[in-house]
Amino acid sequence: MEKLVELRGIVKRFPGVVANDRVDFELRRGEVHALLGENGAGKTTLMNILYGLYKPDEGEIYVRGKRVELRSPRDAISLGIGMVHQNFRLVESHTVLENIILGLREDGLRIDFEKHRRRIIELSERYGWKIDPMARIWQLSAGEKQQVELLKILYRGAEILILDEPTSVLTVQETRRLFEALRRMAREGKGIIFITHKLNEVMEVSDRVTVMRRGRVVITKETRETTKAELANYMIGRPIVFGQKKASAQLGAVVLKVIDLKVLGDRGYPAVNGVSLEVRRGEILGIAGVSGNGQVELAEAIAGLRKPLAGRILLNGVDATGMDAGKMIELGVAYIPPEGNKLGIVPGFRVVDNLFLKAYRYPPYSNKLLLNWGKMLEKARELIEEFGIVTPSALSRASSLSGGNIQRLILARELSGIIGGIPRLIVAAYPTKGLDIGATEFVHDLLLRYKEMGSGIIFISEDLEELLLLSDRIAVMSGGRIRGVLAREEADAEKIGLLMSEAVVQAG
Amino acid sequence: MSLKIETRFGRIRVERRVGYGRLYSISMTLLSLALAFLVVALILASLGLDPVKAFQVIFGVFMKPSLLLESIKQSIPICLAALGLSIAFKMNFWNIGAEGQIYMGMIASTGIVLLHAYYGFFHEWMVMPLMFLASFLLGGAWCLIPGALKARLGVNEILPTLMLNYVAILIVDFLVHGPWRDPKGYGFPLSIPFPEYTKLNIVLGEPAYTGLLFSILGAAAVFFLLEYTKLGFEIKVVGQSPAVARYAGIRVRSTILLGSFLAGGLAGIGGLSIVSGIIGRLRPGASPGYGYTAIIVAALAGLNPWVTVAVSIFFGGLITAGGALQMSMGIPKAAAQMIQAVIFLMILVGEFIKRYRIVIERPGASER
Repeated sequence: MEKLVELRGIVKRFPGVVANDRVDFELRRGEVHALLGENGAGKTTLMNILYGLYKPDEGEIYVRGKRVELRSPRDAISLGIGMVHQNFRLVESHTVLENIILGLREDGLRIDFEKHRRRIIELSERYGWKIDPMARIWQLSAGEKQQVELLKILYRGAEILILDEPTSVLTVQETRRLFEALRRMAREGKGIIFITHKLNEVMEVSDRVTVMRRGRVVITKETRETTKAELANYMIGRPIVFGQKKASAQLGAVVLKVIDLKVLGDRGYPAVNGVSLEVRRGEILGIAGVSGNGQVELAEAIAGLRKPLAGRILLNGVDATGMDAGKMIELGVAYIPPEGNKLGIVPGFRVVDNLFLKAYRYPPYSNKLLLNWGKMLEKARELIEEFGIVTPSALSRASSLSGGNIQRLILARELSGIIGGIPRLIVAAYPTKGLDIGATEFVHDLLLRYKEMGSGIIFISEDLEELLLLSDRIAVMSGGRIRGVLAREEADAEKIGLLMSEAVVQAG
Repeated sequence: MSLKIETRFGRIRVERRVGYGRLYSISMTLLSLALAFLVVALILASLGLDPVKAFQVIFGVFMKPSLLLESIKQSIPICLAALGLSIAFKMNFWNIGAEGQIYMGMIASTGIVLLHAYYGFFHEWMVMPLMFLASFLLGGAWCLIPGALKARLGVNEILPTLMLNYVAILIVDFLVHGPWRDPKGYGFPLSIPFPEYTKLNIVLGEPAYTGLLFSILGAAAVFFLLEYTKLGFEIKVVGQSPAVARYAGIRVRSTILLGSFLAGGLAGIGGLSIVSGIIGRLRPGASPGYGYTAIIVAALAGLNPWVTVAVSIFFGGLITAGGALQMSMGIPKAAAQMIQAVIFLMILVGEFIKRYRIVIERPGASER
């Protein structure tokens, strides 16, 4: 089969790290080739080299058998290479059509919008998408924006497609639709490189898989000749156990009681619309549902970041409705926010500053006026050790940490008890999103450990597998309401899916 | 910051430099200064003046003790205002209003002096401390207005701080033309001259030394505030991200109020240093834009309080040099200001080039 791309002996060094160490990689016509690896394994660097964003320090790039030198993405595009980045690069206030033809040089002074419109519709229908070329980007869902990104590169005639963790922003349904489109593109003779760290997706969509670890290629294999367990082993360098985790903990008194809570969302309508729930000591209450159905608003209300419109929040029997975040922290609420790298840390601050972002104002780390850096640094070094945060020192900037380490930092801050003992209630919103297997396992184990120690835990996730793995009960949320609560024994993916879809019918 | 310009000949790109050595940094500064003097020389030559002599005058400012003292004196209001600005800028509070806060500080100090001189309030020894207190409070209050607007209503601070400058300047105009005019001043718009015990000369009887002491004390205070106090930590978190600050349970509103108050207060004391250290009375236009220069100083010093003191003295020197050029060579005032402006500009460009790199790429894919 024809080789669309061949990379030979690629080396790319950044100050202090070798991101790619003599990497060989090839992409054939008509295949979906998964590039698998943990965060920081060098996948994105390698693809940025192929897309002309980085210049390799050593190595050769061949496209359709010819050696090329890529000085910029423009060179890559002219060779039929297209890349969809993790975060979209679209002009929000422009239409789909304007975004797609932006930078296109085939027209002269006058742009033939009608021609482009027809061609865009034709192209999107080919992959089963319903994209209105005149819609504005901000009106689209994440899945649709991604389709626009793909259309943008397909429209330029790309046959080598690079997708960087394309499913991280998608719902289950959108993911399925994306995979169908990718299979179709492969049948048409395009080559697709699919960057991911999710094993399920590799098994589901790819023909071949290349595994990277610490900047090197570990192996390239036909997908059907391998298994999840084997890939995981290659990826993290040790075997991993799949299956149920049990932590037995006595359910104790009610820690949190939420009664008929209503909370406004950012757009000014109620995002949480009458939620009642209860969490006991030593219990993990999972909250399932497609994201954007009020889960984050619920979490923020409990964390004191959003004032409830109506209803009540009781913490250990004390009415905490409408208290601010500072008060909630003092009442023992730990909040692990979604997208920790945005809301959970200050990237420009040092690790120690971020660890003490909340605890700095309590003794022994400060008195009425002054900070005690000595105490903070000492404790920070302990926490770095205990939570396995990989950082050159407590004084390094948090922005230099990888996603998994940022999450460890946040967990250390929230859970380690520096704010006044073990948290009574932990609200964890998508704590494993975007993390690799190793880091995900760490988060799971940690939550189970705190469950055993008697914290009540609200665990919000989109991933049914991990919900079933950890939760004692699972509440299914959609449209700002709890549609049903299932005990772990009776819960399965089908029942949860049913509750979600019932809600859709009701709402629709 | 990242900027890309596509041209037919290739792409011009501005990149942040990842890190650079001290030697590189210093040599760039020297190079931009050299360039500045080259441009200044051309301007002077075109005016038919002798550049060599002019440079002797400019360098003389930093050599001759009396002029160096004058430079330090000029640097005091700039330094105090810039220290206040470093607090505000750390908080991401874009205070363009140090000038107005300086004027309010002058009003407050003068007010205390007049209360004492006209009505006999306070003991003599109380006047100076009260001047400090009043100028700090009034300067702070002036900055608290945009601070409160931001904290309460989410109003962007840039326009209110800027516009309040004009208000403050006009209040001073009103006072010295009206109620505060010196009865023995032949109708000139001036306050009475300040009595000796209200002058800023407690160290060796010299305003420059006294002011330098206050600049250093101010720098120490700001450094201590930002590095070792809870409030300083909160100011920095709010400056980095109000959303994260809220999440951390920090009271964002009170932090903005307190931070803006302190920033304005320091500028207010800068105002005191003008009326009581430089001029010795209140008059219109008493600050020739110290508050604006302070913005440049704070930025050039990278919001570092200690560096701020040094940079302020350099800028004080440039102001003094302007005056010296006018007097010794008859260079018009506008030309003297132009020379200052050229030097400012070159240093700013030099700093930019220090921090960013300009890359030109040739276009086109090449298949070998």
